Amino acid sequence: MTMAHQPMIDQWYPVALASQLPPEGRATQLMGMPITVLPGTPVRVVTNDGRDLHVIVRYGHVWTSLGKPSKELFDIPEADQPGRRLVEVGVVRVRCSPLRAVENFLDIAHFPFVHTDILGAEPHTEVGKYDVEIRDEEDEVWATKVQFYQPQAAKSASGGITTDYMYRVPAPTSTVLYKTCPARPGEWDVITLFVQPLTEELCDVWPWMALFDDETALTDLIHFQQMIFLQDRSILENQIPRLLPLDPGREIPTRADLTSVAYRRWLKRHQFTYGAQLVAQ
Amino acid sequence: MPAAHERLTIRGNLGAGSFLPWVARHAARLGLDGEIHHADAGRVDIDLRGPTDLIDAMEMGCLLGPIDVWVETIDRTPNPSA
Repeated sequence: MTMAHQPMIDQWYPVALASQLPPEGRATQLMGMPITVLPGTPVRVVTNDGRDLHVIVRYGHVWTSLGKPSKELFDIPEADQPGRRLVEVGVVRVRCSPLRAVENFLDIAHFPFVHTDILGAEPHTEVGKYDVEIRDEEDEVWATKVQFYQPQAAKSASGGITTDYMYRVPAPTSTVLYKTCPARPGEWDVITLFVQPLTEELCDVWPWMALFDDETALTDLIHFQQMIFLQDRSILENQIPRLLPLDPGREIPTRADLTSVAYRRWLKRHQFTYGAQLVAQ
Repeated sequence: MPAAHERLTIRGNLGAGSFLPWVARHAARLGLDGEIHHADAGRVDIDLRGPTDLIDAMEMGCLLGPIDVWVETIDRTPNPSA
């Protein structure tokens, strides 16, 4: 890891589920550095040479940083909203760049092709116009007014509906999806992807949800989300190049990729380049 | 699809020598006819002819551009006169 990666070294990353830490701790790595997450009050994260790292426990996960975070962990106000079920989905290891994992999550156009008859279906493949912006005050990427037809948008949805979405990227390897809540019109279900960069080409993905759904069994909610992500994993692990290109090179982004383009621009602006390919090959 | 004629006015930090060759390469990759109408370190105007969807794709590509260039904004003008 080089000084060139300092802007990402100073960010927060998920490294464990707080509720499932074994007594001996969780040995893992962060950006190539071996670390151990130790249970207790407070939870500690230490490097192999005994250095204690900054720690926050939030959204069910233990978060840490190899550097000195200049900001608090991003806020998800819905996490504290009464009546929501907070769902810890677990971890999925993926052989891909952590930035690729986030970018894939932002890609609405893949729903009918990868999540056929669940999150999308032919012939409903068109992505309508939507708004994308980098919000200066929050310093986050937001995509709003996204609409897409889905045969089964959530575990609690019994039929096809046009689903409204908002996408948010508050940190280089974390993203938050807000979508129509079938059980409670006017509210948004929150589905997040927290990504732990193990190396530039390997990551642990920790999905987490805050839902209004009192009926579906917890195991069904978890299995639904895991099924969706496992479908994505086979795509992610076969993408070439493995790193996320910031120069499009041979890739031809189109208007449907507007959120991905905004995400890559935001990464480039902040020099968040761990897991990125800088020069097209 | 009918061919359109549009000018992309790109503003930003565009001084790197890599940018104009990159623009030419990306336009060729998309099969667009392109001509640099103006170029300085802060603004580049490109006149393009081709299907609107591909001009959209050119705009998307230029928003990223090569790593040593920062594109701040892109404005599009249909049928530029000169």
